[in-house]
Amino acid sequence: MRTALFGISAAAAVVAMIMMPAPANAQEKAAPKYVAPRTADGHPDMQGAWARRGVGLQESNAPNSPLGDFGSTGQPYPTVFNTGVSTTQDRSVLQGRPTGVIDPADRVLPWRPEADAARREFIPKMIPPASLAYIEKSARCVLPGPLEADDRHPYQIIQRPGYFVMMYEYNHVTRVIPTDGRSHVGPDIRLFMGDPVGHWEGETLVVDTTNFNDKTSLGRTVPYHSDALHTIERYTKIDPNIIDYQITIEDPKMFTRPIKIAGTFQAAAGETELMEFACAEGSQTLPNIFGFELAPGRVPANR
Amino acid sequence: MTSKRGWRARAVFLLVLCAAIPAVGQAQANAPNIARGPDGKPDLNGIWQVLNSAAWDLQDHSAALGVPPGQSVVEGGTIPYLPAAAAKQRDNFEHRDTDDPAEVTCYLPGVPRATYMPFPFEIIQTPKLIVFSYEFAHARRNVFTDGSSHPSGFPDFWMGDSRGRWEGDTLVVDVTNLDDRTWLDHAGNFHSDALHVVERYTPIDAGHIMYEATLEDPKVFTRPWKITMPLYRRIEKNVKVLEYECVYYLQEKRYGNAKPIGVP
Repeated sequence: MRTALFGISAAAAVVAMIMMPAPANAQEKAAPKYVAPRTADGHPDMQGAWARRGVGLQESNAPNSPLGDFGSTGQPYPTVFNTGVSTTQDRSVLQGRPTGVIDPADRVLPWRPEADAARREFIPKMIPPASLAYIEKSARCVLPGPLEADDRHPYQIIQRPGYFVMMYEYNHVTRVIPTDGRSHVGPDIRLFMGDPVGHWEGETLVVDTTNFNDKTSLGRTVPYHSDALHTIERYTKIDPNIIDYQITIEDPKMFTRPIKIAGTFQAAAGETELMEFACAEGSQTLPNIFGFELAPGRVPANR
Repeated sequence: MTSKRGWRARAVFLLVLCAAIPAVGQAQANAPNIARGPDGKPDLNGIWQVLNSAAWDLQDHSAALGVPPGQSVVEGGTIPYLPAAAAKQRDNFEHRDTDDPAEVTCYLPGVPRATYMPFPFEIIQTPKLIVFSYEFAHARRNVFTDGSSHPSGFPDFWMGDSRGRWEGDTLVVDVTNLDDRTWLDHAGNFHSDALHVVERYTPIDAGHIMYEATLEDPKVFTRPWKITMPLYRRIEKNVKVLEYECVYYLQEKRYGNAKPIGVP
C-alpha cells in the first residue's frame, strides 16, 4: 500500500512537473496586466483629473514655421487656474513607449502634393498675419479641434451609464461622448470639436469623431484641415495613474493615408480641480493685432 | 359600552387617518415618475431648455423686431432696484445692442442668465459633481455636491463658484464669486460683484424641473428677489447639445475684412 501510494504521488509529482511552465528568463517574465476598477455599469473607470502628455502632430521636413510654441501670445488670463499641472511620478509602465506621431514612424507626413503646396504658401503669411484668416487658430480662443488644446491645463473625465465626458480646463471645452450606440448627427451639422460617438471594446474606449468643420488647426505646421477630417481615439487605462491614448487622424483631402499619434493621460497630483479658463474674455490678441476691440460697445475690458 | 356599529365607524376613521398621514408630509417628495439615482436622489441627467423670453427681458415686455414678447418671470413682477442702479439699468437698455456682454460680445453669460438663454444645456450628474454644459458659448459650470464650501481667496469667475446640496428632492445651488461684467438679460438688467445667487432645481415630473433663483445684491437691489420658470426636458431621440461658437462668428464679423496694424 505504501508503495502504491508512493507510486501515485511520484506519478502526480512527475505530471505536476510536466504541467508547470518552464522557469522563464527573468527579463521575459510577463508583468501582471493591470485591470482597471469598474464603474457601476461594468466599464473601466477612468474618472479623475489628468494631464495630457505627448499628443501633437510633430512633422519631419516641415516648412520653417515662424510660429512659436502654443501659448506664446502672452494673454492676460485670470490668474487662478492650473498651469503646468504636475503628475504622479511613477511612469515605469511607459518605458520604451513612443509618443507623438508614431505612424509614419519617420514623421514625414503623407501629404497630398497640392495640400502640401497650399500650406507652404499659407504659413509664411501667418507672422505677421496678412489678415484674420492667417492668424493661428490657437490664438483666437475658439474651440480647438482634436489636437490643439493647451496641455498645460488639466482634463477631467466623468462617466455615467451611456456617457463618457471629457472636460478640458482649457477654454471650458466639454466633450459629451455617448456610448449608447447612437449614430452620428447628419452631415450638414459641422462642429469645431466634431461629433463623437463612443463604444467599449473590453478595456478600451473607442471614440469615432466625424462632422468636423474646417475651422480648426492640427498644429504649428498644419494650420488648417478640411471638413473631411475623421478621428478615431482609443483610451485604455494601463496603470492606476496612466491612460494610454491613441488618436488616428484621417483627412483624405490633405493626406494620402491616416496618421497615428500616441500619448498619455497621467493622473494629476493632489486634489486637482478644474478652474474656469475664460479664454475670449481675457484675450487681447485680436484687439492688439487690429487696433480695435472685439466688443462693439462699452463692455469693461480685462483686469 | 361599545356598540357593534361603533367599532366599524372607528375602523373607518382609523383607516382614513392612516391614509391621510403619509400624504401630508410627502406631497412634494413623491413627484410622479421622476427619475431617481441608486441613492434615491432625483436624477437630473438630460438636456433641458426654457420656453420663455426671459433671455430678452426678465420683466413684462412687449415685442419688437427680433424680440418675442413675454410675461415677467420675476416674483412680484418687477426688479427692486436702488434708485442709482435703476438709472444705470435704463442706460444699459438704451445701449443694449452694442453693450450686451453675452449676446453681442459673446462673453460667458453668468448665472442665472445661462439657464434661460434660448439654447439647451445638459446636466451630467455624478454623486459629488454635477456638470452643467451650456450650448451657448460652450459655457460650463461645475456644481460641487461633495459637501465642500466656497473656497476663500478666489477671484470672481464669469460663471461663478457653485456648491450644491440636496434638500429633499430639490438641488439647492449656492453661487458666489460672480464677475460683475455679466448682465441678467438683454434688457440691461445687471448686478455688482456682491451678487449672491441661490438656485433651486426641483423636478416636478419626468419632463419638467421647476427652476427658482433668488438674487441678492445690496449694492444694486433694495432686497433679495426671485425668478421662477420651468425647465423642459428635450425628449427628441438622440438630441444633443451642439455648438454656438459665438466668439468665432463675432471675430469674423468684426475683423474679417479688417487689416492688421502695419499691413498696407
